[in-house]
Formats: sequence, structure tokens, C-alpha cells
Amino acid sequence: MGMLDQLMYGFSIALTPENLLYVFIGVLAGTVIGILPGLGPMSAIALMIPIAYGMDPTSAIIMLAGVYYGAIFGGSTSSILLNAPGVAGTVATSFDGYPMALKGQAGKALAIAAISSFVGGTIGVVGLMAIAPSLASFAVSFGPTEYFALMVLGLTAVVSLGGRNLTKGLISAVVGVIIALVGIDSQTAITRFTFDRPELYEGVEFLIVALGVFALAEVLVMLSRRGKGGVRKSVTSLRLSRGELARITPPALRSSVLGFFTGVLPGAGATVASFLAYSAEKRIARDGKTFGQGNMKGVAAPEAANNAAAVGSFVPLMTLGVPGSGTTAILLGALMVLGVQPGPTMLTDDPGMFWGVVASMYLGTVVLLVLNLPLIPVFAKVLNTPRTMLLPLVVVFCVVGVYGLSFSVFDLGLLAAFGVIGFLMRRNDFPAAPLILGLILGGLMETNMRRALQISGGEWSVFVTEPISAGLLALAALSLLPSLVRALRRRPSAGTPAEVPAPADGPEEQAPTPRG
Amino acid sequence: MSEKSTARGSAPATGAAPGRPRKPRGSRVPVLPERAFRFSPRTLGVVIALFAIGYLVLAFQMPDYTAVQVPVQPATLPRWLGAVLLVLAVLLFFQRPQADGEPEAAPVAEAAESASGKSTDADADTDADPSADTAKGEARLGRFEDTRLEIGLFVAALAAYAALFEFLGFILATALYLGSMTWYLGYRRHLVNAVVAIALPFALYAGMTWGLDVALPTGLLPF
Repeated sequence: MGMLDQLMYGFSIALTPENLLYVFIGVLAGTVIGILPGLGPMSAIALMIPIAYGMDPTSAIIMLAGVYYGAIFGGSTSSILLNAPGVAGTVATSFDGYPMALKGQAGKALAIAAISSFVGGTIGVVGLMAIAPSLASFAVSFGPTEYFALMVLGLTAVVSLGGRNLTKGLISAVVGVIIALVGIDSQTAITRFTFDRPELYEGVEFLIVALGVFALAEVLVMLSRRGKGGVRKSVTSLRLSRGELARITPPALRSSVLGFFTGVLPGAGATVASFLAYSAEKRIARDGKTFGQGNMKGVAAPEAANNAAAVGSFVPLMTLGVPGSGTTAILLGALMVLGVQPGPTMLTDDPGMFWGVVASMYLGTVVLLVLNLPLIPVFAKVLNTPRTMLLPLVVVFCVVGVYGLSFSVFDLGLLAAFGVIGFLMRRNDFPAAPLILGLILGGLMETNMRRALQISGGEWSVFVTEPISAGLLALAALSLLPSLVRALRRRPSAGTPAEVPAPADGPEEQAPTPRG
Repeated sequence: MSEKSTARGSAPATGAAPGRPRKPRGSRVPVLPERAFRFSPRTLGVVIALFAIGYLVLAFQMPDYTAVQVPVQPATLPRWLGAVLLVLAVLLFFQRPQADGEPEAAPVAEAAESASGKSTDADADTDADPSADTAKGEARLGRFEDTRLEIGLFVAALAAYAALFEFLGFILATALYLGSMTWYLGYRRHLVNAVVAIALPFALYAGMTWGLDVALPTGLLPF
């Protein structure tokens, strides 16, 4: 079978000692950063991008993908031990993981998390291999019109799933596009919004915004919470009995499939997937009532789902070149800096990269299982890093990352400004993922819009007369509908007191941003 | 989002033990840290609208490209974006604060917020070690009572670090920043602090310069 051959080819790339080392470094660094409360996969990837500069693009994305799932796994560690999920994608894990830790079963919970993650990752990779080539061959026929529509869909999907407030999400997205348009216009060479600062001619580097809005804002949030947090539980025995394994296997398998397809959808990342899987399993399980009190199925389901979704979210990124979530948007930004533009032709033009990444994902999940799990007690020590020292350290890493990219103090000022903006956004419930997606898609959107209009001779109706583009735009409009309906439905009852969020709320209610 | 997530993550635990007595509202901090820098939709709407108007003014001053006929002028998209942003800002202005459970909305919402915050503490107490919250040798971050001052100072320190970055050079500026901030935020083991503050910049510098070929500024130091 051709696909297996190609996967073997991928393994031959991923298994070179150099790339193996990068998988290793990526997973390790991702786990360590992900364990730190507050720092999620987006911050982890943004912090690691400076290291990826100058690397071979294939190795770079292999490493960054490792950071991604390492960070998700690390997030579940802090969810279980600390009840402080560093990552929105692992919030659902803490529902049952932390109660398990309270019962003295922290080790078991961690082992379940690792095994379920492995199952999720494996099924995700199989799904990726099955879907990506056909999606890519379909997308090869896409012209600029379709791409423009696709990007609009990507933005609206992230906005509608990203937060509870549609207006704020849209504002974030629009501001992201506004930032993207700063600099010399690529087509006409007219400077836009540069205020005659030569530093801005090239536009605002996406890494500055990513580090500012995620990592630095996270630091300010930690500071504003004055170091309050849960109590850390220590790691106990990691051993699982055969019966326990048998109990978690079916939910892990079901959740993996569910998670993968959720991840493929634009906008729905690991967060939505984990909540969906958790509530689905809670409904299916005969002992569903004990969910929330330390049921191991309640750990297995979200963990399998968020890892499967993390892999699934690579499908739109690698085949369409349009990221479906904030995290893959950052990955896309990193790839573009490295001079790679993923898209439907990548599979044929650069199969080494595509299949290498697929194979490395599989290796990454294996590394997570065989290496990270036994090392968990060591990693848990990272949680001992005093926050008084952690905060300045993260700042230093951000500063080094930005300066190493542009060698400009002006950009350090921008970094600080975006940190403040990100903090204010966080405080006022503006989701940050649409901003970063808008920033990365903004330039591409304008380029495609121009090309489409060039082809159509300036006829704006082309976006709604081309069938695929019209369908995508209709989907984009539809994706905003649920939030609109929710907003309208809430209006009559807006006077009633806002209750403490009930655990049974919809997944979107609980997940402020899809971080995965 | 982690702040939110934590509060929400603890919600099921609250549901599991609904009768748990609530602690009296905290009076340690005058301005609840959760409330610092939160603004009403009206304020946010006005600020964003002002930004949108400023942006539109600039967008309409932008010259058109006339050398060749192009369907999309450089100013086309910015003008649309500015208009959309203005509309969104107006929508935000008329939003009811409660619509999102924002804390300044009503005392009820505020109580709900602090209740969900407190439940984390309550969970902690079930550990039979009530002081564990802060007893890990980790004091409250920072020194000011007012969180807003603390944030302001932190950002100011970052700005100072950035400003001195090229003049002092990476190693000196970073050692200074790391050491003083860690000390200021309340880390008490001064020797550890000093070692980290001196060793880490050197290690980073070496890694960046020789490992990744990224030249960081040397500043006052000769290398």
C-alpha cells in the first residue's frame, strides 16, 4: 500500500539521529513548560520558536510538534497534581484527576493520562494519514477565491468556539488583521500605519505578538493573582492493574475518535474535544454519577481526546495551510518564518516534510509514554520552581527570543506593549486566539482577496458565485449562529443572577479559548 | 485563561460538596486581585471606538495607488476593518455587563466569582493542612497591597530592562533584572538567587552565541 510506504519513508526521516534528538528535545521542553502552571502549548511553542530559527524546516516543525503534544501532556500533569491546569485543553482532566490525587492515586491518574494520550495520539496519527491526502488532493483545485473564503471560515470558527462573547471575539480577530496590515504593502509598496518608524516597515513580527499576548500576559496574570494556587499533591505509584486498564480502554478509544474529528474541524481544538469527550463518557458510563469524584474514565476520556485533537488539528494546517486553532496558527507562523508555506501542494512537493512530521508525531507519543511517564516524579519537581523566580525567568526568555530575532530594542518595547495588551484582554474576557489567527491570516487573506478580484476583474460578487467559496462563506456565517442564538436567548434572563458556573454547562461555556 | 480555568475547574468539586461552609470574604487585599484592570463594556466600547476612529482617519488619509489600475487599493481593507471595528465597539458599548458574568456587573456576580474563587481555598483546607496554601516557602508575590501598582511596577521594570539591554549588554542587564526582580517579588534564599542571576545569563549567552549563532549585545563587558 502506497500510504504505508510513505509512512515508512516518513519514519526514515524522523528516525535520523538528528531528528530523533529534536523530537526528544521538543517533547521534553514541551512537557517542562506545559507543567508550569499558566504556560500552555501556545506559550511553549512561542518560547521555543527562537531555538527553531536556523534549523532545517523539517527538523524545526518536528521539534515544534513535539513541543505541542509535550505541552499538552505537561498540562495534564499540573491538572492532576495541582488542580491548576496550565492549558485549557486539560481543564477537563482536572475534574477527575485532582480528586484522584486527593485520594492518593495521583500516580494512577498520571499513568492513565499517559496511556490515554498515547492511544489518542496513535488513533490521531492513523486518522491524519487517512484523511490528509484526500483532503489535500481536493484542495489542490482551490484558487484564491476559495482560500479567502476558507480563511474567513477559519477565523469565524475560532471566534465562535473561542469564547462566550461573540463581539469580543470578533474584535480580537479584527485587531489581529489590523496588526497584520502594518508595514509596507507587498503589492503597491505603500507604507501603512508605520508612523514613519523604519522598524515597522517589515510589519510586526508575529513572534513578538505571540510571546507578548501569551507568555508575557500569562506572567502578568500570575502576578496579579499574587501566587495563589492549589495545593500540590505528590506523585504516588504509577502502577495500573489489568482490570483498570480494561476499564479505561473503551472510553479512551471512543474519545480518541471523537477528539480527532473535533480537532480536524476548524476552530475546535483540544479544549472543545476534551470537554465533549468528558461529557459524552459521563453520559455513556454506567457509573457516570461518580464522574467528578475521581473516576478514572473521567481522566482517560479528555486525555485521549485532547491528544487526538492535537494531531487532528494538523490536518487543516498541513493540507490547506489554514490553521484551525490558535496553537496551529502559531505553528504556521513559525513555518512561514522558516520559509515554508504549507498547503495542498506540500504533500506532493515536499513529501519528506509531511510524512516526516506524521512519523515524528507517532514517535513523539511513544517518547511520551516510555520516557515521560517514568520521569514524572522528576518533572513534578518543576512545580517546585518558586514563582518569584519563574516570573522574571519567563520574561528573560521572551526578551531573548524577540531580540534574537530582530536585534532591535524597539521590538522589545513592542513586546512589553503586547504583554500589557494581552493582559488587559485576558482580564476583560477577550480571547487571544482569534487575535493571533487574524494576525497570521491577515496578510494571506488580503493577498488572496486581491488575486481573486484581479482574476474576476474587480467583481466582488465572485466570492458568492463560486460554489465552493459560497459554501465556505455560508459555513462561516453558520458558525457564528450558535453564539448569536445563545446571546439572544440569554438576553431575557440577563437580569437573573449569574450563578457559579455549573459543571454541566456546555463545553464552550467552560472553555474560554481553544488553546489546543 | 488559566485564571478562569482554575476557577471553573474547581466548580465540580463545589458541586460535589454543596454544603461546604464558605469562608468570609477575604479582606487581605483591598482591591480584589481578580478585579484589578477589569472594565465595564461601556468603557471598553468607548476605548475601542476611539481606536477605530483614529484608525479610520489614518486609513482615509492613505494615498491611493495610481500607477496601475488595481481592484483593491492598499487602503481598501483597512477602511473596511476600521468600520467593522467601530460597529463592534458600539455593540460592545450596549452590552449588558451581566451578559458575561463580569464581576463589576452586580454584587451577585461578584459574590459568585469570589465564591468560586474561595472554593479553591476550601478544597485546600480539606487537606488537613490549612496553611499549605502559602506555607511552601512561597510568600505572596510582590510587596504592594494594590495589585495595580504591582503590575505597573513589573511592566516598568521590564521597560527598564529593555532600555538598558543594549547599553549594559545582555549579561549585565539580565543579571540585574533577574536578581532584583526575584528578590523584589519575595524570594528569600538570597544566595540561590544570586547564583541563578549570575549563572543563567552566562549560560544563555553562551548558548545563544555559540550554539545558535545569535549575537546578543555585549555592552560594557568585553566579550
